Amino acid sequence: MNMIEVDGLTKRFGQFTAVDTVSFHVDKGEIFGLLGPNGAGKTTTIRCLLTLIPVTNGKATVAGIDILKKPQQAREVSGYVPQDVSVDGDLTGYENLLFYARLFHVAGSARKERIREVMRFMDLAEKANDLAKNYSGGMMRRLEIGQVLVNRPRVLFLDEPSIGLDPVAKRMVWDYIQQLRDEFDATILLTTHDMNEADFLCDRIAIMNGGKIVVTGPPSKLKTELGGDIITITSDNSSCRQVLQQLGYQLLPQSQDHDCDLVADNGEKKIPEIIDKLKNHGVSTTSVSLKEGTLDDVFLKYAGKRIGEGDLTWQTTRAVRRTERRHG
Amino acid sequence: MNVIRLFTDIFTITDFELRKIWHDSSQVFIRAIQPILWLLVFGQVMSKINLMSSSIPAGYTYLQFLTPGVLAQSVIFVAIFYGFNMVMDRDMGLLHKLLSTPIPRYSIVLGKTLSAGVRSVIQALVVFILAVIIRVQLIMTPVSIIGVIVIIILTGMCFSGLSIFLASFFKTRERIMGIGQAIMMPLFFASSAIYPVDIMPTWLQVIARINPLSYIVDAMRALLVTADYSHLALDFGITVLATAVLVTLASTSFSRIIR
Ligand SMILES: Nc1ncnc2c1ncn2[C@@H]1O[C@H](COP(=O)(O)OP(=O)(O)OP(=O)(O)O)[C@@H](O)[C@H]1O
Ligand SMILES: [Mg+2]
Repeated sequence: MNMIEVDGLTKRFGQFTAVDTVSFHVDKGEIFGLLGPNGAGKTTTIRCLLTLIPVTNGKATVAGIDILKKPQQAREVSGYVPQDVSVDGDLTGYENLLFYARLFHVAGSARKERIREVMRFMDLAEKANDLAKNYSGGMMRRLEIGQVLVNRPRVLFLDEPSIGLDPVAKRMVWDYIQQLRDEFDATILLTTHDMNEADFLCDRIAIMNGGKIVVTGPPSKLKTELGGDIITITSDNSSCRQVLQQLGYQLLPQSQDHDCDLVADNGEKKIPEIIDKLKNHGVSTTSVSLKEGTLDDVFLKYAGKRIGEGDLTWQTTRAVRRTERRHG
Repeated sequence: MNVIRLFTDIFTITDFELRKIWHDSSQVFIRAIQPILWLLVFGQVMSKINLMSSSIPAGYTYLQFLTPGVLAQSVIFVAIFYGFNMVMDRDMGLLHKLLSTPIPRYSIVLGKTLSAGVRSVIQALVVFILAVIIRVQLIMTPVSIIGVIVIIILTGMCFSGLSIFLASFFKTRERIMGIGQAIMMPLFFASSAIYPVDIMPTWLQVIARINPLSYIVDAMRALLVTADYSHLALDFGITVLATAVLVTLASTSFSRIIR
């Protein structure tokens, strides 16, 4: 069964189209990743699905509920972890959880147990009665994820769940997300800028660019479709790129005149051939390297940019906001 | 069932707003500074000037006259920046998360405005205690106290509703801060809060008569000082009406904040 089904979703802000006739579906129990450079429209897509902002065009269902006709019901089965800081620093960790348990109308008898369970699951029990503004970034993120768990949502929307976390904390969050699916049978839609994360967690991903989905599929399939290995060739000769193109090699969009990335099956066998051919055209090579295609390269191919450009700014913003939260 | 839900939702939001004061009560005292200065400095000095005493009901001191006005002012201080808090929450992810819960938008607004009302009572209490300390003669019967508490809650709801309504159009912190301050001044001065309406120039009298704050202060003055209840029904009526209108406007406009 499709727990999320999006059909021709479009969102315009004035003249600007942030989400452009996007269609995709997510199966029950699937972890689905939305990838894309900054401003691709990932957050906007999620906000539309959570009925936070009105949709300009298109249809969508969450757990079979039409979000346009029954927004309140759709929100009842959904959990949302926003990209920005969403714990209330002026309340304790426990109160942050209790607040959402009550807003989601978790029965009074089940509440305490649920919260304790979430606290344990998210490893926050020790700091339960500290004000959330005194939490570290990673703890805040865990608390934010914990907040939506008290409701046991059937569909989870995680907007950059591991943003701003160190590798250890990131790994922890990944484990939690997998557990959520395995233990609570949740369906998860997440966005990320981290290709390892997408590779590790997601059953399928969709790459968005300029409001459109450019490709959808399992990470492994997309990597295979890349057509093999990536060979990077550098040369002093500025016609290197041109010659490679004439020879009919498949260059990646980031290639420069002196510095080309191309895709080839059985890369290690192709290298001597390529060097010979280049030499015949009067282009000598200064270095050649070979690596297996990664999700990074898939992203680069479809989004035309390397992921992480601008990523840092987001982390900084989040850090600044967290500080504001503490002191303001 | 739905009504019960509505009340539990409102209660939840109010409950947690108030827990924040419990965790950090310093702002209650910081926000009390300005009203206290009005009573201590402005009030004491103006008492020495006979200028206005002719218009103040006979037998009452200026401080008695001023205290309800300053109580109202301390309430407005709390309420008028509620929209600002909402925009802060929007700039973090808090408001988005709150809006992603199944509770209807109007219960969020009702919960927030009600908590502004309850906060206002706490805020006014600080000013009230000071007034008692400096020996301002006030009527303190159960009826007058309960009446004043009701008026204060309504006032807090009314002006936080106004603030949220404005915030859903102005949207940024800077603009809302500016608007809040811009409204404060005329609201306070073009009302019966610090001087009798009779001594104002006619055009200002007109403004003071449509300013809900005049009626709010009037009601508190009747309850706490003069015991002249002839206008009380009108005062209450207008306060309730203004609150209902502004809270309704805020409820309908509110989700614009995140657009
Ligand atoms: N409320 C709004 N008003 C106008 N434009 C908006 C609004 N919200 C988003 N946009 C625009 O829509 C585009 C998509 O934004 P969105 O936040 O969805 O991107 P994103 O893919 O989540 O990016 P990031 O990786 O930086 O989080 C951006 O160009 C953004 O400026
Ligand atoms: Mg985003």
